[in-house]
Amino acid sequence: MESEAILKELARAVVEMDEDGAEAAAHEALRSGVDPYVAITEGLSAGMRRVGELYDTGEYFVPEILVCSDTMNRAIAVLKPHIKAKSDARPVKIILGVIEGDIHDIGKNIVKIMLDAAGFDVQDLGRDVSAAQFVEAARKAGVGIIGISTLMSTTMDNMGKVVRGLEEAGLRQCFQVMIGGSPASAAFAREIGADGYGRNAKEAVDLAENLSRRLPCAKTE
Amino acid sequence: MREDRMSPSERIGAFLSGKPIDRFPCVPLILNHAARVNGVKIGAHNRDGALMGKCHADAYRRYGQDLITIFSDTAVISEAMGTELFFPEDDVPRVQTPAIPNIGDWSRLVEATADDGRLPVYLEAIRTASAEVAGEVPVTCCFPAPFTTAAMLRGTDQFARDLFRNRECAHGLLQHSLDACCAFSDAVVDTGGIPVVVDPIATGSVLGERHFREFALPYLTELHKRIAARGMPVLLHICGQTQRILDAMLESGAALLSLDDIPMSVARDRAGSKVALMGNVRPAQTLLKGKPEDVVNEVRELCEIGRSCSAGFVLGSGCEAPIATPPENIDAMMNAVREFGCFD
Repeated sequence: MESEAILKELARAVVEMDEDGAEAAAHEALRSGVDPYVAITEGLSAGMRRVGELYDTGEYFVPEILVCSDTMNRAIAVLKPHIKAKSDARPVKIILGVIEGDIHDIGKNIVKIMLDAAGFDVQDLGRDVSAAQFVEAARKAGVGIIGISTLMSTTMDNMGKVVRGLEEAGLRQCFQVMIGGSPASAAFAREIGADGYGRNAKEAVDLAENLSRRLPCAKTE
Repeated sequence: MREDRMSPSERIGAFLSGKPIDRFPCVPLILNHAARVNGVKIGAHNRDGALMGKCHADAYRRYGQDLITIFSDTAVISEAMGTELFFPEDDVPRVQTPAIPNIGDWSRLVEATADDGRLPVYLEAIRTASAEVAGEVPVTCCFPAPFTTAAMLRGTDQFARDLFRNRECAHGLLQHSLDACCAFSDAVVDTGGIPVVVDPIATGSVLGERHFREFALPYLTELHKRIAARGMPVLLHICGQTQRILDAMLESGAALLSLDDIPMSVARDRAGSKVALMGNVRPAQTLLKGKPEDVVNEVRELCEIGRSCSAGFVLGSGCEAPIATPPENIDAMMNAVREFGCFD
C-alpha cells in the first residue's frame, strides 16, 4: 500500500472504531516503511481530530470517543516501539486532573484523549486530586499547563487552591492554568486567578494551544 | 409577594389533576442540602434513615418547598446489587468498586430487593418524613433509573464501551437493573412515597439519541409503566444537556420532565404542550454562587416562560441544590415564585 493510503486507512479505522483494521494498518505501515511517528501524527491523530469534530457537531458522543480512542491506542501500541527518539521540539506538558472531592472523570478523560491526539504530553493525575498533588506534579514538570476539571459545584472552589498553591511554591510564572467542567465558567476562571476556561473538549484543546504560546521556554535537558 | 392559599399537598394534588392552583409549585431540589439544615454530616445523613427523614422534614419546615425529595446518591440501587461505595464523612458517597468488572459476569448478579444495601435507609427516611409532616407536603424518593444503575454496576467508562462491544451483555445488565429499580419503586410506593426517577448518566451530555433510544428509553419506559400501574404520577429528572434526547424522553410515558441544561423556552416549544416541565434555576452559577437578586431574576424569567407551558410548569432547580447553597438563595427562590408565579 502507498504511504498516503496507509495514513488514510489509519485515520479511517479510528473514526469508524475498527480496532482490528487499525492494528492491521499499523503493521502495514511498518512493513511499507512509513515512519511510525508520521503514522501516529498524520494517520491516527488525524482520525482522532475528525472524531473531535464529530463530537463537536453532535454526531459522536462519549461512548464513541472512548472506543475511537481505544482503537487509536491499539495501533499506537504496534507503532510506538519502532519510533526513534526525537531530539527536536518537545511537546508541551499538560498536567490534568479532577479536583479533590470529585470523582466524575468522564469529561476529563475525553479532554485527555483529545489533548493526547493534539500532540500534548499529558500527565493524568486521575480524579479526586488535591491541590498539593497538582503542585507537586508541577514542581517535577518545571513548566507547562495545568488542566483542572470538576463536575460538582461543591468542589469547584478547590480549584482556586491549585492556583494559590502554585503561587506559594513560586511556580505560577512557569504554568498556565486552565479549568473545565459544567459548573465552572470564564468568569469563575478569572475569579480564582486561572488563565482560561474551556467549555468542552474542543475548546480545551484550542485553549491549551493558545496558552502554550504564553509559556516561558522549557528548560532543555 | 402574595401569601400562599394552598398547602403543598393541596397545590401538588391540584396541579397533577389539572385543577386551578394559587401559584406554580416550587421545588428547589433539596437533597443532600437537607443535612445542612440540621448541621448533620452528609455521611451520617445517608446511612441513618430516621435522621435522613428528620432532616428532610426540618428542611421543609425551614423552606416550605412543595415536595420533599429524599435522596443520597445515584449509586444506591447498584450498591444494593453489589457495587462498593466509599463514604466520605461529609460528602456524597461515590463508587469505589463496580460490581461487574468483567462484563461476562453480569448474569451472576443476584436479584436485589428493598432489604439490600441502603435501600432500607431510604424507606425509613420516607416513613419518618411522612410521619413528621403528616400529609402537609408530598414525600418523594429520587432513585436512579436502569441505565444509570447499570453504569454504576459496571463503571461508567466501561459501560459506555459495552454499548458498542458487548451489546447483548449491556442489555442483560440493564434488564437486571430494571428488575431492581421496579422492586424498589414498588417498595417506595408501599411505604407511602412518590417515586421520582433520575437518569443522570443517560444525559445528552454523555449519550446521543441513538444510544439513548436503544439502551435507556426501553427500560425507562418499563419502569414508568410500573409506576403508573401503581397509580402514581411519573416524574423523570435527567440532568445535563437534554436537547438531543428530549423527543425520546417524551416517549417514556413521563407526566413531568425535570430539566437542567436546556433553555426552558426551547423545552416549552418542543415539549410544553405534551408534558409538565420542571426547572431550571442554574444550580451552581445561580443557587450556589449567585446573590438572592440573581435568583429572583432567573425565577421571574422562568415564571414568564412557565405561563406558556400549556401542560403545566413547576419552578425547580436544574439539578440538586448544591450542599453549600446559601439558605437565603433558596428563600429567594420560594419568595420569588410567590411574587411572579401566582394565578388569580
